Amino acid sequence: MALLEVDRIVKRFGGLVAVNDVSFEVDTGEIVSMIGPNGAGKTTAFNCITGLYPLSDGDVRFKDVSLLGMQPHRITRLGITRTFQNIRLFSYMTAVDNVMVGEHVRMHSKVWDDLLHTRKARNEERVVEQRALATLRRLGLERYADVYARNLPYGLQRRLEIARALASGPTLLLLDEPAAGLNPHEKVELMGVISKLRDDGLTIFLIEHDMRVVMGISDRIVVLDYGEKIAEGTPKEVRENPRVIDAYLGTAAGQAARGA
Amino acid sequence: MPNGEAPAAVATRAQPMRPKPTPPLLSRMRLRFAAISGQAFIYFLIAGFVGMVVAEFVSKGGTQTGEEILNGLQIGGIYALIAVGYTMVYGIIELINFAHGDVFTFGGMLSVWIGAGLGALGLDMTKLATSNFGGLLAALAIIFPLTMLCTGTLGVVIERVAYRRLRNAPRLAPLITAIGMAFLLEGIMFVAAGSGNYEARKDDWIGGNAFTIGSVSVSWPKLFVILVAAVMMVVLQMFVRYTRMGKAMRATAQDRDAALLSGININRTISVTFFIGSALAAAGGTVYAIYYNLLQWNLGFKFGIIAFTAAVLGGIGNILGAGLGGFLIGLIYVFGSDLLGGQWGNSIIFAMLILVLTLRPSGLLGMRVPDRA
Amino acid sequence: MPDIAEPQVAVDLPETATQTRRVESAAVFWLLVAGGALLLLMGWLLPWFVEQTASGIGHSPMDVIVSSPTGVGWLAVWVMGVCMLALIAGLGYDVYAVMSRRVEPFRFARIRAGLAVLGAACVLLILILVSSRTELIFGNLTPNALVDNAVWIMLTGFLLIAFAYGARSWVVSHGGLAFAAVAFAIGGLFPLMFHQAPGFVVWGAQSAGIYILLALGLNVVVGFAGLLDLGYAAFFAIGAYTTASMASATHGLHWPFWIIIFIGAAAAGLFGAILGFPTLRLRGDYLAIVTLGFGEIVPDMAQNNLFGDTGGPNGISGVDTPSLLPGLGRVDIFGSDPRPYFYAILVVIVLVVLLMRNVERSRLGRAWVAIREDEVAASATGINTVTTKLLAFAIGAAVSGFAGAFFGAMLSSVTPDNFQFAVSVTALTTVVLGGIGNITGVIVGAILVSFVIFWVLPELQGWMGTVGSNVGVTQLGTIQYSDYKFIVYGLILIGIMLLRPSGLLPSRARKVELETGAESEPLAAVQERA
Repeated sequence: MALLEVDRIVKRFGGLVAVNDVSFEVDTGEIVSMIGPNGAGKTTAFNCITGLYPLSDGDVRFKDVSLLGMQPHRITRLGITRTFQNIRLFSYMTAVDNVMVGEHVRMHSKVWDDLLHTRKARNEERVVEQRALATLRRLGLERYADVYARNLPYGLQRRLEIARALASGPTLLLLDEPAAGLNPHEKVELMGVISKLRDDGLTIFLIEHDMRVVMGISDRIVVLDYGEKIAEGTPKEVRENPRVIDAYLGTAAGQAARGA
Repeated sequence: MPNGEAPAAVATRAQPMRPKPTPPLLSRMRLRFAAISGQAFIYFLIAGFVGMVVAEFVSKGGTQTGEEILNGLQIGGIYALIAVGYTMVYGIIELINFAHGDVFTFGGMLSVWIGAGLGALGLDMTKLATSNFGGLLAALAIIFPLTMLCTGTLGVVIERVAYRRLRNAPRLAPLITAIGMAFLLEGIMFVAAGSGNYEARKDDWIGGNAFTIGSVSVSWPKLFVILVAAVMMVVLQMFVRYTRMGKAMRATAQDRDAALLSGININRTISVTFFIGSALAAAGGTVYAIYYNLLQWNLGFKFGIIAFTAAVLGGIGNILGAGLGGFLIGLIYVFGSDLLGGQWGNSIIFAMLILVLTLRPSGLLGMRVPDRA
Repeated sequence: MPDIAEPQVAVDLPETATQTRRVESAAVFWLLVAGGALLLLMGWLLPWFVEQTASGIGHSPMDVIVSSPTGVGWLAVWVMGVCMLALIAGLGYDVYAVMSRRVEPFRFARIRAGLAVLGAACVLLILILVSSRTELIFGNLTPNALVDNAVWIMLTGFLLIAFAYGARSWVVSHGGLAFAAVAFAIGGLFPLMFHQAPGFVVWGAQSAGIYILLALGLNVVVGFAGLLDLGYAAFFAIGAYTTASMASATHGLHWPFWIIIFIGAAAAGLFGAILGFPTLRLRGDYLAIVTLGFGEIVPDMAQNNLFGDTGGPNGISGVDTPSLLPGLGRVDIFGSDPRPYFYAILVVIVLVVLLMRNVERSRLGRAWVAIREDEVAASATGINTVTTKLLAFAIGAAVSGFAGAFFGAMLSSVTPDNFQFAVSVTALTTVVLGGIGNITGVIVGAILVSFVIFWVLPELQGWMGTVGSNVGVTQLGTIQYSDYKFIVYGLILIGIMLLRPSGLLPSRARKVELETGAESEPLAAVQERA
């Protein structure tokens, strides 16, 4: 049984079919990338998996539990967290506060604990703050703990968003174009971070445009075009797939590839 | 289709077809609700409406029902005139202009003061209006444009002074400023006109019955209100559809940046919007003053919220919607008050507002959902 | 004139949270100093406004100065006056220094603290002299002639400035604590300070106290969670009516006050959640309108006896006064004397403030900030937006329920008229003026607004009459100043929004957020569009 099973999902916006009958699986400990030309429906698929958009048809199963109809926060509680394509940090909170929000699902304080500042709440706050700082340290951000998120440079903001996603102790991490806007050096660092996270036991599913990143770290790749899955396989297989080349470079190149 | 490609390139894990699961009950209900609530609302509205009319007919008889319909249309006409201003302003800058209801009242009072002023200069408006039909037309032709012009200018000034600087601020700021402006206007009227009823003029300008339908007599004043409202709606709709400025207004409402880049003067367009909205509200106020002969300093508050509900019901941003909503709300208010008692009128309208926003935020004719696109 | 929108001036945050904390604490310093200076002026000028009466109120320090010189008291008044002028000039210098950045502010802080202490000493001396001697001390003014209230006000003003300048570094680093200490001290001594003006103590309990509680509660909804609520008076009404029904002649129930105050708060909190529910998927201004609608419906329902007998337009009257030791027989100290009420409300306010500060830095408080900033991201991070928002409504409403209970007990009756839109707007004004989201700020805002609207405006006519007769322009006393209440309201609201939208004491992050930030889209809107 795979960790995440995406089972023939369909997403319609009125008359437009953005995602059409897409199925794939992600096994525990894998790094799977989803690629495709712009407008292929990748982020839409992401949003459907994480509950932000209701599915028009199909199902998504996580550890054999159907995610159909679940609100995003419940999906997070199950162990799936995500980052966003255009970074959605809490700009006016500090880095450590951002990560502590990530810890929200792992905290047990109730309303009265918060209001009355009971010993339970106090202890938990302390523990959580330490954990948050540890998460920051894990991603090399502990120097910026007290800095407001909006004051951080772009590359560090991306990393902070990952830190926040890690704070809830997820099993599956979804990254939406994590390398967008990064310079080559930062991209290499990012690849290191993602590999390290996988080594620590996380399963990672990401959308990405940068082929070097994708080919560099993925175990498997899923290719979407016009909302449909057109290929799936190892980086090598996908790289040589004529349909993929078709989609990215045009039919002539695809035919050339087939001929070759 | 390319042939001879390695099947392994499209590797899909073979797995048995699983039965498609259904989402849990609560989510199913939620999704269903969202899907049908818009439609359901219309049916609910029609049903409720018919129910009201039938209840009225059964309990109070045909004549009363007919009269209430007339009353509803009459007060609805005034609501419509105010609602248009709300809907236009919201459509173009996404601001609920709290002060608009008080602009309506102010317009009414202004019409009285202008009349009194002219009287002081030797032109007795009431005498002119009550002398004959031609005199009435002349009086109206003098009062209406003057009042609408002055109040329209007031609207432009309000926008310029209070709202323009906050056009890009988060929603809280212009909203509070609008409330402040509303209070300011109410305060001025309170000082000027006192806390009680403010008598507009000594004699009624319009009286008598126009015609009768069955046992219901349609009086001239009521007809006057309905006609003025309807005519102004139509004129405005034509203005918005066929003139250049109207097109500019529609463009700015849909996409301000694109309109700007197309060479439209945004500031002027918005000012014109406020001018027209306030002028129409003033027309409503003048009509109110002529019909009821009474005004109060805080009339605008209640009328404002009711008119806003009408604008939302009809579809915010849609002028015909505001007109339709106005008349509908008028009917609902009148029937509701007659059936349940006068003190419930406002609560019914608020309940309507909550229902519309919950079930069908785009309103009856709306193209704009009240959310940021 | 180019039509392009003016570029936003970058109002930016300092780098770290520690820096902004320092900036915010500095605001408390200014608050103390400005407050102290204001009190000095008020004390000096008070006799101009207040009628001379037999109890000695109404003679001014000016009278003393121009009276025939005699004795140490006269010297004390002169020294006090000089100190006062020096301090106010010094404050002006500081303001100029900070704004122009050309000169260094806070020079000679210790000297100024010293001057303030000297001034306070003079005031004390005068107070002692006046209250202890029976023969004439200042020329031909009778004993107790100096305005007792004015003396106290000036003393407080001097002490505030002395504290602020003397302990400046501590105040700046521990702003919140400093304010709390000062507020507690002044609050505790308030009835003593104004024992000659019991009407003012009544104001303190009924207007200031109630509106501080309302401001604190509304601050949870608008400030912490960012939900614009225009119908807050509805929860106030529910709290008041609930407690009044359970302890009045109307229903014959006479439950002890200290129990029903919690029932009232709970009822209000419950309705907070219920009335908040339809607003969850709505965007900012529509949320405001719907809450406004509820704010109108609730008093309407009370007026029409919808939920059982609520007394109609006349409301419930004959509400019991609280008994001090319930169960042990009635100990009626809560009579017509406002002081027990004042202290009771003060205690409740302190407790509520503690609760607020706790929740601000807790899991729930962070969740509120997250929702306020970006609801979609908050939901993706695991926050249940529905329950979190409902909790904001419920907690905010519960606080106003407390206020409602006190309100009913103090006024002995609750009528629908007490809960009109003006109450909601006043509460909102206090929060906005003071600084949205800032506990210290909204308390200051509540005090200022309730002072201007509920003390100055009603009393203004009498004062202007006194001033008029003093300067010979008697027409000043004939203007009905309270008629201008709404104009004043309107100007305050417009003024704040145009000049300083983040309020007097905003939290720094909130300030930038309010002046440049975009609105967070409701999660439901995103999901429904999809």
